[in-house]
Amino acid sequence: MTTTEDRRLPFPRPNILELAPLYEALRREAPVVAVTTPAGDPAWLVTRFDEVKQLLGDKRFGRSHPAPEQASKINRAAVLEGPSGNYETEAADHSRMRRLLTPAFSAKRMNRLSGDVQALVDGCIDRMVAAHDTDPVVDLHALLALPMPIGVICALLGVPEEDAPLFRDLSDRMGTASGADAHAAREEFGRYVTRLAEAKRANPGQDVISDLVAAQAADETFGYAEMTRLAVGLIFAGHETTVNRIGLGVLFLMTRRQHWDDLVADPSRVNATVEEIMRLGAPGDLGLVRYAHEDVSVAGVDIARGDALVLSINAANRDPGEYGAAEEFDPDRPERAHLGFGHGAHFCIGASLARVELRTVFATLARRLPDLRPAAELDELDVRTGHITGGVTTLPVTW
Amino acid sequence: MHIEADQEKCVGAGQCVMAAPELFDQRDSDGVVEVLVSDPADSQAAQAREAELTCPAAAITVTAT
Repeated sequence: MTTTEDRRLPFPRPNILELAPLYEALRREAPVVAVTTPAGDPAWLVTRFDEVKQLLGDKRFGRSHPAPEQASKINRAAVLEGPSGNYETEAADHSRMRRLLTPAFSAKRMNRLSGDVQALVDGCIDRMVAAHDTDPVVDLHALLALPMPIGVICALLGVPEEDAPLFRDLSDRMGTASGADAHAAREEFGRYVTRLAEAKRANPGQDVISDLVAAQAADETFGYAEMTRLAVGLIFAGHETTVNRIGLGVLFLMTRRQHWDDLVADPSRVNATVEEIMRLGAPGDLGLVRYAHEDVSVAGVDIARGDALVLSINAANRDPGEYGAAEEFDPDRPERAHLGFGHGAHFCIGASLARVELRTVFATLARRLPDLRPAAELDELDVRTGHITGGVTTLPVTW
Repeated sequence: MHIEADQEKCVGAGQCVMAAPELFDQRDSDGVVEVLVSDPADSQAAQAREAELTCPAAAITVTAT
């Protein structure tokens, strides 16, 4: 079939909603295949649902590397660019992090937040309606997709909203595969959360950053650097991912009008619609990265300790071995599970929050702006191709 | 039908609470699963099965009784 050099990630995609056709051939013929990462290093690309799910749940693989200086690099961004964490203490560090943060992100607490999320969404849509009075074309990205998740994560983490332009800029630069500037942004982000953490120490609030500061002070095995790494990760992942998913969801529904009309007619379809947006939406061009902690054979391929794996969530979620008419957007499909939030021990801690946000956004858009339609063609949109989480920079709509 | 949840395997993802809030809860202290109704009515079977299916840790087992 192809040579390793042909199989250099990322594979070019036809547009933001579709995957590179090569994924289909790989799933069928070589579900675990040698590729070259965007950074130029060797890795295994895993594309089938069964193997991706199995590997995400397999404790013989981790995010850390036994010899990090020898590890394959994935890209030139400053987040998910290579191994992270300490090989010796990864499992213990991860358990402590989950124990500490899981209660703050529990499904019950997130459901309790739904009134606040609804108020934020309504405020954003009020501003879209006001903007529409002067110009019929409105940027849904700038007025809804971006400010709503930022408002939610600021309240939850205890980050001042006036800092949003700063951490938004830092997140954008940190996730861009640019090398030096990405790493400079990450360092600046670290200094920002250090100032924030010290302000919380002096004046604690009912928020996650205050909880992290208190937990770090009480546990001598919990290092300061680990705490700031977690705080940066929460601010970054707490908005980047949802911002992009709202944009992708709107694009799926606007280009598949029947599903939008169905949602307008029957708002109870919102949960299934959001799950389909989670399954098919494909932000970024890579996948979740793991390093083998021992020699393992997967689908007949021998993987050596230390090898890098790129687990393609995008490809797995469209595997015809798992889903009937896998490429079709179909909220009524019988297969309900997907890997859009990952799987296993690292399953997205913010999944319940994301679901509350996405359900509220799409239910409210359908109710308040039923005539919503795109004001630009799909191929006219500016896609952040060099960014690890992808997404669009503007999303012109009208009604 | 009968529901079992393995608290050792649970990763606190809260999928079960989202899928079946009448049947599952998460402990306030650490987010670990608690079964509220271990022998649910037949009308709750679909919810219970969805919780079992979507649990990322495969910590939930639903058996016919």
